[in-house]
Amino acid sequence: MKFGGMATKVSFIGLLLVINLALSTAYCAEKNIRIIANQSVDIDRLDNDQVKRIFTMYQTNWPNAQPIVVFVLANQNGTHQLFSREILGVFPYQLERIWNKLIFSGLGEGPIRVQTESEMLAKVKQQPGAIGYVMTSEIPMGIHLIQLIEEQ
Amino acid sequence: MPWLCLIVFFMFAFNVHADDLKIHGFVAQGVIQAQDSNFVQNDGEVSLKLTEIGLNGSYKINNQLRVAGQGVYLNGGNRYPEGFRVDYLFLEWKLLSDADWQLKLQLGRNKNYHWLYSATRDVPHTRPSIVLAQSMYFDAFRDFALGVDGIMAVANTQNAWGEWDINLSYGSTPVSNKQRDRLLGVHALGKVNHDKDMQASIFWRPKASQWQFGVSLLEVDFSYDAAEQDIYFDGATKTQRMNLHFLYQSENWEFASEFVREKPTLNGLFFPSYKLKTASDGGYVQGRYFLNPQLTLMTRLDLYDRDRNDRSGKKLEALSDGNIPAYFGYMDQLTLGLTWKFAKNIQVQTEYHRVKGTGHLAPYLIPNTEFNQHEYWDMWAIQLMYWY
Repeated sequence: MKFGGMATKVSFIGLLLVINLALSTAYCAEKNIRIIANQSVDIDRLDNDQVKRIFTMYQTNWPNAQPIVVFVLANQNGTHQLFSREILGVFPYQLERIWNKLIFSGLGEGPIRVQTESEMLAKVKQQPGAIGYVMTSEIPMGIHLIQLIEEQ
Repeated sequence: MPWLCLIVFFMFAFNVHADDLKIHGFVAQGVIQAQDSNFVQNDGEVSLKLTEIGLNGSYKINNQLRVAGQGVYLNGGNRYPEGFRVDYLFLEWKLLSDADWQLKLQLGRNKNYHWLYSATRDVPHTRPSIVLAQSMYFDAFRDFALGVDGIMAVANTQNAWGEWDINLSYGSTPVSNKQRDRLLGVHALGKVNHDKDMQASIFWRPKASQWQFGVSLLEVDFSYDAAEQDIYFDGATKTQRMNLHFLYQSENWEFASEFVREKPTLNGLFFPSYKLKTASDGGYVQGRYFLNPQLTLMTRLDLYDRDRNDRSGKKLEALSDGNIPAYFGYMDQLTLGLTWKFAKNIQVQTEYHRVKGTGHLAPYLIPNTEFNQHEYWDMWAIQLMYWY
């Protein structure tokens, strides 16, 4: 009975550790993704729902009416996969379908695709109203970092 | 087409900047066979009539106005008229697009955004299968279900319960003689008019959930102006349709389901005092499993009954003095499919259908008993597709 109780306690602690590890991984992944924007964007903070609304192309203007220009990495890119799952809360194939519906039914326009993070940084720096995301911590001058916050 | 003139005016009234113009397209060619049925062609032989080519453009005139259009060439055999057509072409006026609301109006030829796959049913790589569930996406009615020439309002918002899409459309569609033949058969000589089409839909994606629920309503009026030497008389029909839509998307698999209840009433057409009021229903459940980013398996069960008070079709057979077999009263099918995306923007899709009944084949009002002499029939298809 005593041994059984000990085993249960050990299993419980093990379960907690696994959950904690999983949560930490998700937290780290989320922390490592940096939402970047062009210097012309005067927004400093966004929550996950707002970021999702922008990347699913539902919100196409910044609050000051400036058009939003969305840049994304390729579907199979590791940064894109993490960004899609951890920040937007959708699987990459779901995003792809949302954009396909916009593009091939006339409902809207899809995002602009770039191949690498360095290309992402260059395009976002150059394009007024632009938003994108990277994993790299080497953010060059002239890029505006947007802080990801808890839901408002 | 006054709306077309309006759109062309807007295109030329403003200078075109390359950054504001987006071009995309797709090309697909396949092989298909629907044995013992006239679904694709009357002889039921192997056919190349599975061609879909499209080119679309979207041009931002300014931050509020946009023009979008798509031209397609389609060849689906008997499924719909072969040839080039303007799939959509409209002027969009964006009234609002902020953190909480998006609201826009589209004027011109709009797409049907009311069902799960209606917006891109002709775009091969966006479909779960080459031939969609016929209970919901009846190919003979394809051109009327694609969208309307008229006005469409599209709204989207998010709140504490989740995300909401609301769509409203009003308009009509020009009906060609080829489309008339798919409804009434080749002996019809008069003119079919699509007088009015009103649709509304609402979709809800609960917060922190992978579910999507939707409901859509349709009311559509058609009339028929008989020709002098016609086998038909003048007639009019009104159809009300309610659809329910369900979608669940997980990392490795997806579940989709749609149900339809349709209530058509018909006055005249067969003889001046003829009246018909009926109700048909159907629906499908579909599962997809993503083996890996390249390979997707699909299975679907699709059921359709032409008259919910005559699911076996026996009344239909009796009323026609045995001329129309009972199996024209329903059309159920099981589908198995595979999609292989073997390169960027290139994939091949293949599928097999086992079908029971012929209740949803063209021509719909006068069933073709000459080429559909079997209750059970098979269909297979394979299609290669590229998009950019």
